[in-house]
Parts: sequence; structure tokens; C-alpha cells
Amino acid sequence: MTTTTLHAEVRRAVAAVPDPELPPVTIGMLGMIHHLDVDDDGEVTVELLPTFSGCPATEMIGRDVADAAREVDGVTAVTVRFRHDPPWTPDRIDEEGREQLRRFGIAPPGGPIAGAQRPDGRPTLPLAMTSAADPRPCPYCGSTETVRDAMFGPTPCRDVRFCRACDQPFEAFRS
Amino acid sequence: MTATPAQLPELSTPRAQVLLAVADDALISGHRSSHWTGVAPSLEEDLAFSTIAQDGINHADVWYQLLAESETDVAVATDLRAAVDALGLGRAPAAYRHAILCERPPRDFAFTLARHWAFERFDVVRLDVLADSIDPDIAAIATKLLHEARYHLEHADHWFARLSRAGDQPHERFAGALATALPEALGLFEPVDGEEEAIETGLFPVGHVALRSRWLEIVGVLLEEAGYGELVPGDEAATPREASGGRRGEHSPDFLDDVWPEMTALYRAHPDARW
Repeated sequence: MTTTTLHAEVRRAVAAVPDPELPPVTIGMLGMIHHLDVDDDGEVTVELLPTFSGCPATEMIGRDVADAAREVDGVTAVTVRFRHDPPWTPDRIDEEGREQLRRFGIAPPGGPIAGAQRPDGRPTLPLAMTSAADPRPCPYCGSTETVRDAMFGPTPCRDVRFCRACDQPFEAFRS
Repeated sequence: MTATPAQLPELSTPRAQVLLAVADDALISGHRSSHWTGVAPSLEEDLAFSTIAQDGINHADVWYQLLAESETDVAVATDLRAAVDALGLGRAPAAYRHAILCERPPRDFAFTLARHWAFERFDVVRLDVLADSIDPDIAAIATKLLHEARYHLEHADHWFARLSRAGDQPHERFAGALATALPEALGLFEPVDGEEEAIETGLFPVGHVALRSRWLEIVGVLLEEAGYGELVPGDEAATPREASGGRRGEHSPDFLDDVWPEMTALYRAHPDARW
């Protein structure tokens, strides 16, 4: 197998690792993979960006990523590292990830703002400029007649909202 | 078999001292916030302070990771968790650099909210400065934590507004709590060892001492607007003696006899425990 093919296979395997707390969402969708390298001897290095600092799933994700890479034929060794620079922010979640969150009953944060620089050098944080309380469309009925009930929810990455149109409480991924 | 605790990195550099002040403030505030888990006045506040506690302890964790990775010679990558635990739980009390305000017990909910507000208002100002650090890792972490700290600040501001506008009894009771918390908050602005050097090199572009006027400018206006003008600390006001010295490792019995023994009990009994 050529290194390029192996690289693509490892990337596919790593990107498909689910978030243990939100299984429909993968770490690829979350935009956690910063860098992935496969050398000629089949040694893999993965650099991941941890999401919320209070997320207890981070270390589990690191182990799952190492396991997933190791299972690919041709891989001889795996090193997984977390890095802080650039900082992960919710705008790294891709379109599919946001759709999966919505289907899971969690209102997704907005995506990257068109034209905004990707945070590879100094970060740009477009979402930080909007209030965390901005109304989110209800994941069940799509109405924007929603309010934030509580800014702290069941995990460090979610808050609690209420939809006035369908009378449903729901969670929102924090921006 | 005797357990061997993980080795601590070199902590006497200006960079390590600054990072310890930031991390220890978060760790000890986090521990004090966790006091309300299960016993807060409402379910919402239980969730709020439990999350704030979890965030605080994890913010400290991220800074300790940075310290462990960058200030040690040994290959910590294989056992970063042990290195972080050693930093958070394996130091003698005099090696902690948090301000005494952070170690104060929750007292009542009014004091908890007053301390919370004074601290969160300080925390975002300091993180904002650290986001401009010449050190790319410090800048990146500060940027990220600032993003998360927005929620803490919003929570603190919400209570500040609610209590200050709530009429006589709550307004007065909150005034009493602020009158205790605000002078003690001045201890947040004492420098760590070697801070001058960290300022000159751009590692910590504005030191703790100069942060005080930035903080005062912000909280002063908010206090005035809320009818608490007489509580604004003066430009020259000294930190009360009993709330001074945390950044030099001089802590009060609230830390020495309460937070530290409880927080480190398990680690001291089993320094090689793995989670």
C-alpha cells in the first residue's frame, strides 16, 4: 500500500471515531483533527485539539483514536498528542456534525462565518462576538421562538432552552 | 511497595510562577465552588456552581499540562496525567500561588456571589491580557478559556444585577457581602516572584499590579450604577493584611487547615493512583 493510500485510510478511521457522549457525532465532524502524519515505516502521529476544557471525554477520545489508527493494516506505531494552539472553538464543527447534533435533539452552534480566517495562526473567534444567549432554532420543530432557560446544562458543552412553539425543552451546544 | 510521586517540574522560573498563579486561582476557586454541589439554594444554581467548579478545576488542569510539558526534561508525554496530578495535588501549601480570596469558604450564598463576581470580573481581564502573550501556547489557551469564561461572567453579572436591583433586604445583604469580598479581592493583584521579567519579555504583557486599575475601572462603574458607589476600593487602598500574601505562598488557615488537607488527602495516601 502506498503511503498516500495508508494516510487516507488512517484519516478515515480516525475521523470516524465517535464522541463518547454524543455518539452520532464523530471527532472528524467536530473538527478535532489538527494534523495527521504517516511516515514510510507506517508510524502514525495524530495531533488533536481538545474541545471544552472541562470535557471528561477528552482522554477517552485520545485512546479511541489510537486504537482506531492501530487497527488499520500497515500501521506499525501510533502517537496521539493533544495540542492547545490553535484553540478549538465550536465554529470548527462541520455542516454534517451540526446536522447530527440537531437530529440528536441538541441545537447546534453556528458554523464558520464565510470569509473569516481559519484559526491556524492567531485565532479568529467569530462566535465570541455574539451573545451566548442568542436564540437557537428548536431542533424538533425549527421554530426560532425559543428562549434560553439555563446557561448551565448536563455537560460543560451544553445549555438548556425552551421552545415556545412546540412547548419542548431542548439542549443547545454552547457557542 | 512505596509509592513514588511524579516529579514536579522546575517551578522557580517567572513563566512557571505566572502560570501557577493563574492555574492555582482556578483550582482553588473551583474547589470552593464545588461546595454548593447538592446544597445550592436552587437546582439551577446547583448546576451552575457544579459546572463552574468543573470548569475551574479543568482550566487549572490545562495550565498544569502546559507547565508539565514545557518545564520538564523528562518525557512527560507518556504520563502527562501523573505530572498534572503532581502539580495540582502534590505541592506543599507554601508552593501554591492563588490569592487568599479564592481560598475563603463560601460563607453564605451572598458572599459566594460577591466573591464570584469580583473574581470573574478579574479572570476575564487577566485572560484577555494573556491572550496577547508572546508565548503562543499561553495565548492560545487564554483565548480558549476566555471563550468558556464568558458563561461564568454572564452568570456572575446576572446575580449582581438581580440582587442590586431587588430592593432593600437583598440589596443590603449583597452590599455586606461585597464589603467583605472587594477589599480581599485586592490580593488578586499582588505579583508573583519574577513577574517583572515576565512583563518585560511579553509573556504576561500586563502584570497583576497594573491589572488592578483595569479591573477597578470596570467594577467601579458597575458598582456606582448599582448604588454601591461607597464600596468601590480606592486607587491607593491596601490589601487587608489577612487577605495578602497568597501570591507569595503565604496562605490562611482557610487553605492550610481546610482546602489543602481535604483536596490532597487521597493523593497523599496514594500518590501513584490512576483514574
